[in-house]
Amino acid sequence: MQTLSKLAELRRLLHSMERTLGLQDLSPVERDIYYAASELSENDRRVRTVGLIEHALLETVSRPTFFRALKSLVNKGYLTQCSTMNRGCYLVRSSES
Amino acid sequence: MGDKEGSLGRLGVETAVASSAYFATILLTFELVVPLQNLVFPEYSSRASLLFLPHGVRVLSAWLLGWRAVPALLPGVIAAFAYVGGMDVLLPSRMIAIAIAVCTVPLCLHLLRVIGLDLFPSQDRAPCWLCVMGVGIVTSLIIASLTNMAFGSDPIEAIAYLIGDISGLFFGMLALLYAFRLLGRSA
Repeated sequence: MQTLSKLAELRRLLHSMERTLGLQDLSPVERDIYYAASELSENDRRVRTVGLIEHALLETVSRPTFFRALKSLVNKGYLTQCSTMNRGCYLVRSSES
Repeated sequence: MGDKEGSLGRLGVETAVASSAYFATILLTFELVVPLQNLVFPEYSSRASLLFLPHGVRVLSAWLLGWRAVPALLPGVIAAFAYVGGMDVLLPSRMIAIAIAVCTVPLCLHLLRVIGLDLFPSQDRAPCWLCVMGVGIVTSLIIASLTNMAFGSDPIEAIAYLIGDISGLFFGMLALLYAFRLLGRSA
């Protein structure tokens, strides 16, 4: 457990480096969704798909592309699904967290 | 009793990981980087590597483990000195150099904490990789100067050590970043 948490701390440090150097592993659509989600998320860092899809940055993105990118962001750990059973809700993971 | 065993077990894991990483990067440096360096810069006569990855291991271990990095790195550093210098590892100058290599970074991080600049990982604040790089540069200067004094070598060597340490820390972190990314993809 301790080793795992050290690994997580190391990853947080490398994430901050990644962000400063602009090396994030995101496509333009994924980046727009992540920026929109960061902007829309409240203090509890939750964001709803409905709000995201209507965001100005994502107006021109087709629905299949949007959902593919959303799924990819979840796989890459930038977003996580809310622990509640609510399917349209995501938790924005800070790149520092 | 259980706690004591737990922390000993944790120290064992930390020692295995940190020392193995240190020794592996020493092997990489002296078996791959230095021969390549000699091919690319044949006129460069110094034995110092211009990409010294073990400094990255030293800095990151101290950042993650604090004082525990000293015992965690010690076997790896002794093995590295034995690998490079053979039985010379028992010379007083080498023993001083080993102590400098394992103690400088944790000492520097703790001194910074004492003066109010706590860079150690914490859930309450974002990690600052540039600050860690800064510590890497300052400690490289200290280690290079002290090691040069202990060995009595040419001051120009200290500059080569400095370049090697800084590039080793930066590219080591970059390599880890891409390694984590690859692991994430294959998981």
